[in-house]
Amino acid sequence: MTTTTKGITALLAAGLVTGLAATALAGEIRIGVTMRMVSENGQKYGQMVVDEFDMINKAGGINGHTLDVTLLNDECKSDKGVANANKLIFQEKIHLLVGSTCSSVSLPIVDVTAKTKVPQIIPHSTNEKITQKGSAWVFRVPVSGRYYAGVNAKYVGENIGKKIAYLCAADAASQNDCEAMQAQMKSQFGAEAAYVAQVQEKEVDFRTHMQKIKSAGVDGIMIAALAETMARALVQSYEAGIPASVNRIGSSSASNSPVPAIAGDAAKGVFFTAAYAAADDRPIARLFNEMVRQRYGIHAPDHDFSQAYDLVRIVEIALGNADLKLDSANLAADRTAIRDAIANVKGYQGLASGPISFCAEATPQCRDGNRTAVLIAYTKGGKDYVTEVLARVTMPVDFGLK
Amino acid sequence: MLKVTGLETGYGRVQILRGLDMEVPQGRIVALLGGNGTGKSTMLRAVSGLIRVWNGQIEFNGERIDNKAPDQIVRRGLIQVTQGKDSYPSMTVEENLKVGAFTRSDKPGVARDLERVYDYFPVLKERRRQLAGTLSGGEVQMLVIGRGLMAAPKMMLLDEPSAALAPKVVLDIFANINRIARSGVTILVVEQNVRMALILASYAYIIRDGRILIEGDADDLMHDENVKMSFLGGTVADSSREYMS
Amino acid sequence: MDFDFTSLFAFILFGLTIGVVYGIVALGISLIYSGLDIVHFAHGEIYMFGAFFGLVFSEHMGVPYPLAILSAMVCTGLLGIVIERVFYRRLTRAGGGYTVAGMGMIICGFGMSVVLQNIAYLSWGADAEPFPVDLGEPFQFGDISLPKSYGLTAVIALLLMAVLHFFLKKTKIGLAVRAVAANKDIAFLMGINVPLMISLIFGLACALAAAAGVLIGPMQSVQVEMGYLMLMKAFAAAVVGGFGSLPGAIVGGLLVGIFENLGAAYISPNHKDIYAFLLLILVLMVRPSGLFGVEVRVKA
Ligand SMILES: Nc1ncnc2c1ncn2[C@@H]1O[C@H](COP(=O)(O)OP(=O)(O)O)[C@@H](O)[C@H]1O
Ligand SMILES: [Mg+2]
Repeated sequence: MTTTTKGITALLAAGLVTGLAATALAGEIRIGVTMRMVSENGQKYGQMVVDEFDMINKAGGINGHTLDVTLLNDECKSDKGVANANKLIFQEKIHLLVGSTCSSVSLPIVDVTAKTKVPQIIPHSTNEKITQKGSAWVFRVPVSGRYYAGVNAKYVGENIGKKIAYLCAADAASQNDCEAMQAQMKSQFGAEAAYVAQVQEKEVDFRTHMQKIKSAGVDGIMIAALAETMARALVQSYEAGIPASVNRIGSSSASNSPVPAIAGDAAKGVFFTAAYAAADDRPIARLFNEMVRQRYGIHAPDHDFSQAYDLVRIVEIALGNADLKLDSANLAADRTAIRDAIANVKGYQGLASGPISFCAEATPQCRDGNRTAVLIAYTKGGKDYVTEVLARVTMPVDFGLK
Repeated sequence: MLKVTGLETGYGRVQILRGLDMEVPQGRIVALLGGNGTGKSTMLRAVSGLIRVWNGQIEFNGERIDNKAPDQIVRRGLIQVTQGKDSYPSMTVEENLKVGAFTRSDKPGVARDLERVYDYFPVLKERRRQLAGTLSGGEVQMLVIGRGLMAAPKMMLLDEPSAALAPKVVLDIFANINRIARSGVTILVVEQNVRMALILASYAYIIRDGRILIEGDADDLMHDENVKMSFLGGTVADSSREYMS
Repeated sequence: MDFDFTSLFAFILFGLTIGVVYGIVALGISLIYSGLDIVHFAHGEIYMFGAFFGLVFSEHMGVPYPLAILSAMVCTGLLGIVIERVFYRRLTRAGGGYTVAGMGMIICGFGMSVVLQNIAYLSWGADAEPFPVDLGEPFQFGDISLPKSYGLTAVIALLLMAVLHFFLKKTKIGLAVRAVAANKDIAFLMGINVPLMISLIFGLACALAAAAGVLIGPMQSVQVEMGYLMLMKAFAAAVVGGFGSLPGAIVGGLLVGIFENLGAAYISPNHKDIYAFLLLILVLMVRPSGLFGVEVRVKA
């Protein structure tokens, strides 16, 4: 062997060794995100998730590992969401899936992640069934619908009255909210609905319903619909001459900023339950509001933003505690490690209305992380709306389970 | 006034006219005769610009008009009255006539021509507020000829004005066509009613297989033994075949 | 179910005020059908574009509301003409004939609807935009309150219908439009520039849809997907009235509006939209060509 070849061999060997060492020491944690990024808000909180993960990388990553984030849009369509999840899991070989926004999308994805054994952490979906499927791989950051309905009904029955009219739009989330509320009013107060109307998702004209509700003389109207439909119904409820003394109760989408923006003055007094109040005066909340205003031009972030933010923090904590190998041989082991690390997050105090805790069992009690809801009311409508916190209620962990 | 040379056209890929030549001098009534489906209406459609001319030339008043848009041809004074007795059934008689005057902007002239049409066809005046859909076959024929006249044409192409009408009505209509011609409108009349057409016209062409088969003065054709035997006798379609054999 | 005449009156009033809007969209659909032989499935999106134009003029450019309606009508009419000239006409034989309408034209309407939605999405985003028009306190009829916007909508819609009627019945161009709608070949032979008239018809139909969009705007928010429901209602109205019949479109619109409100009030409040189609089925069972429809036209 000549000196030259010897030198080259040594060089190659050295390169090989350093290469191997590098992969062994620091790898990439692959995170897939699928969310509804249709509206302006949707795009912005999607961006916020990516930006927050980026900042973690810039600050040196987690235990020296960098985060490799792939963000996909599912447009709130379940087929797209499932396709995104499969793509992220099988092509991108992600370690953790974040998603989705709409319950109708998150629900089928739960089956995908359970089957492929990939941890899934949910930023926005509230449908109670998500954690009742018995998957050991799913974690919910938001407040489950079973708590919301309980809080809402309790407040309404105790403070407003028991004669409630319901206007329920045909989308899955609103149907769910509407039914849960009626069920809770019945079980907590034995109150039957005073009037129920199912309406089309994009219904334009509610006047006949409003006229009937007006003559029924109710204590409150629950409008369960997606943001713009709700806004329209609110406006028409005033146009029909239903006085402000009849309380307008919103479904979960009442927290979305298009509601006060479109409804204007008609949004005033509308209250709803949420996981975050922009009117929160804790320093962390004020800082967050300021950050979102500066970075994304959002006047007052709703819980879609706060939950996306809390989710990133929880992921950061969990990944920090997980012992990860990050090579292809250990993909399954790393996924399990991340799952177990998320299950170990207890009492996380962030933006959310209450602490978020998970545990190991594949039960709703363990996986619905947040059980504190805030009741929020609009005190001013329009694009520069103002909200106030009416109450903050923590529900028992078993609430709403059969 | 109208000169057609080597006209070839058809529908889709099917050729119907295979080099048709004919001429209509100013101020005359010329007849185009032939059996059913021989391409008479096709030739009129080509002249009016409703279908494309594949080959050949069409001259009107010394100007090439082949493959011009139909409305452009109408504006030059060449009007066709189609064979379907196509009125606008849901418009009144008078509205139908007004559609005919669409290209004109001289109101007094239009009013004069309206009176002229009512003078030719008094029944139209009686029925002028009625929907055209309520008229009888003969009245509709009068209406569509009247509608053509409303455009103040230099020349009219009349496609089978006698079809499916009672003899007395046909006589009335032909008398009026004669009056129109005398007022200075050149006329090309397409007919299957050969005898009547030859009485009306001064010159005639007989079409077959997409070409002109015979032509001549109407009087000569009327007394031509071949024409007499084949067209003035049995049915037109049969006789034309006999004539060839 | 308790019954009183005030409520009945209110429900009919609500039905009429939304029905006129269905009516003017249906009018456009019928106009296009009789003029171009196209069943125009993209008309809901044209309506949506009209609403957006109205919003841009009124909200972003500060044009007064009535003028915004007119401007939106002009813009949408022009948009319609471009669509017709550039896309639809190419799909028909020999440019401008519209004589071989069929599956192709139907699919092309669906395609256009998707294209327009995407364009609107890219231009204005998916968020619903409020379209506040302050017209003051609502009208009060005893216990019933009717916002001024509804009254204005009804008045403007009726006005548009009257103008259209006058145009078609009393003007030369209107006569030519009717001639083209009834028989294109004959219209051509009368010296009418048929392609131009077809563009005019299409533009007119689109302008009507735009008016509906701007009128509905203040009642709801303006949003990319708003066209679908309106298309369904307007189609029901057009068919109930007799497809292709202009008075039929208006009467159909009013009937659909009243019927769905009475249905929601007295039969069941759920899924009000079903009543439009229930009415449609009922009418078609009794009169297969719709209320004002003539027997099915046979094309020569
Ligand atoms: N629109 C059309 N498409 C295809 N073929 C046609 C059309 N109109 C007529 N034809 C055919 O062209 C031939 C000549 O028709 P036409 O000119 O109408 O005859 P006629 O001499 O009776 O007026 C016939 O064979 C007919 O079947
Ligand atoms: Mg013929």
